[in-house]
Amino acid sequence: MESERVEEYLEAMYKRQKTEIPVSTSGLAKDLKVSLPAVTDMLRRLESEGLVEYRAHQGAVLTARGNERAVSVVRRHRLWERFLTNILGVKWDRVHREACRLEHATSPETEEKLASLLGNIDTCPHGYPIPDKNGNIKEQEVMPLSKFEVGQSVCILTIADEAPQLLRNIDKLGLRPGTVVTLTKKDSNGSLEVEAGGERLWLEKETAVLLLAKLVSAEDKTAMAEEISISRLASGESGIVKSYTGGRGMLGRCLSMGFTPGSLVRMLENFGSGPVLVKVHDTEVALGRGIAEKIVVTRNKGVC
Amino acid sequence: MLEKSDEKSIVVALAGPPNVGKSTVFNLLTGLSQHVGNWPGKTVEQKTGVLRRDSLTMNFVDLPGTYSLTANSAEEQIARDYLVKGKPGVVVAVLNAASLERNLYLVAELIELAPRLIIALNMTDVAQQQGMKIDYKALESALNIPVIPMVANKNQGLNELVRAIEHEFNWPMKSRDVKHVEADTEIKGVIDHVEGLLTDDSTTPYPGHWAATKLLEGDEQISKLVRQRLSPAQWSTLDSLLKENESAAVTIATLRFEWVEKVVAVAQEKPPLGQVSLTERLDRAATHPILGLVILLGVMGLVFWLVYSLGVPIQRFLEVSLIERTREIVYNTLHFMPGWVSSFLGDGILSGVGTVLTFIPILFLFFLAWAFLEDTGYVARVAFVTDRFMHLIGLHGKSVLPLILGFGCNVPAVMGTRIIESERARLLTILLTPLIPCTGRLAVVALIAAAFFGSQATLVSISIILFSLLMLVISGLIMNRFVLGGERTALIMELPLYHSPNLRLTLLVTWQRIVAFIKRAGTIILIVSVFVWLLSSFPGGGIEESFLAQIGRWLEPLGRLMGLNWQMMVALLSSFVAKENTIATLGVLIGGSKAGLIQALREMLVPASALAFLVIQVLFIPCAATVAVVHQETRSWRWTAFSIGFQLALSFSMAILVFQVARLAML
Repeated sequence: MESERVEEYLEAMYKRQKTEIPVSTSGLAKDLKVSLPAVTDMLRRLESEGLVEYRAHQGAVLTARGNERAVSVVRRHRLWERFLTNILGVKWDRVHREACRLEHATSPETEEKLASLLGNIDTCPHGYPIPDKNGNIKEQEVMPLSKFEVGQSVCILTIADEAPQLLRNIDKLGLRPGTVVTLTKKDSNGSLEVEAGGERLWLEKETAVLLLAKLVSAEDKTAMAEEISISRLASGESGIVKSYTGGRGMLGRCLSMGFTPGSLVRMLENFGSGPVLVKVHDTEVALGRGIAEKIVVTRNKGVC
Repeated sequence: MLEKSDEKSIVVALAGPPNVGKSTVFNLLTGLSQHVGNWPGKTVEQKTGVLRRDSLTMNFVDLPGTYSLTANSAEEQIARDYLVKGKPGVVVAVLNAASLERNLYLVAELIELAPRLIIALNMTDVAQQQGMKIDYKALESALNIPVIPMVANKNQGLNELVRAIEHEFNWPMKSRDVKHVEADTEIKGVIDHVEGLLTDDSTTPYPGHWAATKLLEGDEQISKLVRQRLSPAQWSTLDSLLKENESAAVTIATLRFEWVEKVVAVAQEKPPLGQVSLTERLDRAATHPILGLVILLGVMGLVFWLVYSLGVPIQRFLEVSLIERTREIVYNTLHFMPGWVSSFLGDGILSGVGTVLTFIPILFLFFLAWAFLEDTGYVARVAFVTDRFMHLIGLHGKSVLPLILGFGCNVPAVMGTRIIESERARLLTILLTPLIPCTGRLAVVALIAAAFFGSQATLVSISIILFSLLMLVISGLIMNRFVLGGERTALIMELPLYHSPNLRLTLLVTWQRIVAFIKRAGTIILIVSVFVWLLSSFPGGGIEESFLAQIGRWLEPLGRLMGLNWQMMVALLSSFVAKENTIATLGVLIGGSKAGLIQALREMLVPASALAFLVIQVLFIPCAATVAVVHQETRSWRWTAFSIGFQLALSFSMAILVFQVARLAML
């Protein structure tokens, strides 16, 4: 029980330190929903264990050792979140609280097993990077959506808050991490309009500041707009079906196999000659090169 | 009369895309009450079966597996024609829960034609393994169609399905009004416009509105029908409207998929992203251009090794203990009858029966291995890796599958070409299949090679097989280019998820193939055996004076060009009955026992002639049973005659060439 409380404090401090150094006691009290004297007590204890440096009336900073432990808790937390969504199918607006409980009861072995089960997934469902087992963390260069200019295309990478209602809203809008949007309008009050997948969405300021995004380079933007045949997608790349250049007979078969405009196609195997293997609408489909050359797609660039 | 009116019955059509376990559902529901035939006018298998539950008789009709109901293939045409003309009481759409999104597309089309639907959502266990969660109740209410979750190969959900059908019979649903495509007012306007140009009877028996949609989708069958029934002026107005709206096909399909996506969004939680499934990992090896080929050769090598090492001893056992013993009994018990009676029974009938019977173990094992591979999903990968080679001869990967079956027996191989959608590719595959050395030919090759080439026998046998395959490739190139016009067909096929095979289903498929072999090949072999016996027994005075010998002598000048005497020519001709008959005929003509036969052969032929004989044996016209199915499947005497003529020309010219070259080389 004791170590669980310690970990909760370290984790909360780790998150606060992103924007606030030293971390204020009142901030911690709010995050952890405890009283101010309780925070002061705990910080003194953590200091005596060499995990934080604490100065009365100023706040606290994690020491190197404290930081190391905090990162390890964060890693377990985000691994669990991924496990809950991807393997157990728990909705992403519910996993945060579950993971908060599971993270403290995780042995290093379980942590390793989790990591290898999830393979190369390196972010939590909300888009935060998962630290590796040595505590290294790949920080993202992101800014709130509200800070970008009209006309810029950005990729949403992270949702900065894990409040269930917010996450459900984001789901409804279709703005999960990995979505590319273009800013089309900005209001003086901070709300803005974006275009995503051909649809225009209006975002209130409160939501817009919580969507952390990265600029999509002009180069990537052109690559994503270029129309190519499926056969030019490399293994691992994906594309969105745009049109067909084949005759009517072929068209009917392509349509009934699910190659309708707007469908996402992922190239599984393309060896440069011979047939290709793609995934479309949850199914593997083999396409002879002849057909693969006649279906036109735009690249769905891995910028996100 | 009274009883008749008491009897209640309902016709249930099973529809569904390929790879959803539809045949498993059908087999489990109907068991051995199945009747297998052909759809009228089509070379597509039709299966029907009956299930009696209390006082209700359910007549099941298994529709061909289709992804849509637009007439892209014979299967799709049959499925929708049955829905319209057969008027089934209820349609059960069997779907794969693991690819719900794709499968619901068919449902979108089915709703337009079959108002009374039940969805049998099969393979829910596979969906679960894939990390999908499906809310069946939500799906049911989103579709307004009863949904029965099932795991058919574990026997789960079948009772519930039967109950749902009973319920449907007792309380028929009201026809529902699902207008997913028409949700888009623009396309609705276009469809209405097209429908307005159709006369009342121009689309019978198809509903006018549905036909209008299909016309916009570019359906050839419907447009042909309408064109015939409209006046030229009416048609040209309609045609120009259709041309204006050429993009409607894409719009309609997209609208259907959008409808599907809405349904799926409600009922299914999306599977995890970024997780690489077992199937994808296995496919990285199985579909690799080099590694995939190595795996294919390994798998086929293993299959042949298993088939022959298990099958040959059983075959010998049957030959010796069953056929030979029965023949002895026939001769011993009938010694008081005239000689020709026992000869007719012993040599005519029994040798025919024997040929069929002794072949069954090897065929059974081969079909079993292949059905097993089919059920695991591997066979689709075979089509994928071989596609690039098949393109050289104007075919695509799917043609490989019947060709491989041909190594067992050419008869089911020719029938197996039904999986190929393009008529042209199918015809070419049928014409090439007889060049695959079947087990019968391989048996002859093995015997002759052993007699003449001693330690080199295996090498010679393998070379002959490879030579035969080389001839297949060259023939493919020639036929594709000069006979069929050089058009190419393209591969588009689903690669199903790998799964552990169901033993019952595998056995059932094997059983059905064996029965088909016995029915088609067996009867023909028997008839022709009797015919050859007649030729060899009349006009009397021993085989040397028989009609058969006379034919052989008449052919001898041709035989001399390849160093073959009349006995060998007769043996070759008798391979028309069944390929392995060659050995039996030689036995009758030149020596009784096997050892004696080998000795006599060595004295009679030079190695160059033996080589020529091997060549002509593998390339010669296929057996009568194969010729019969070639005719049945091509529905054309012209192509059947072409097939025979082509192989006659090929086999004689190659054998003469080989003999002349070998003679010079061996001198």
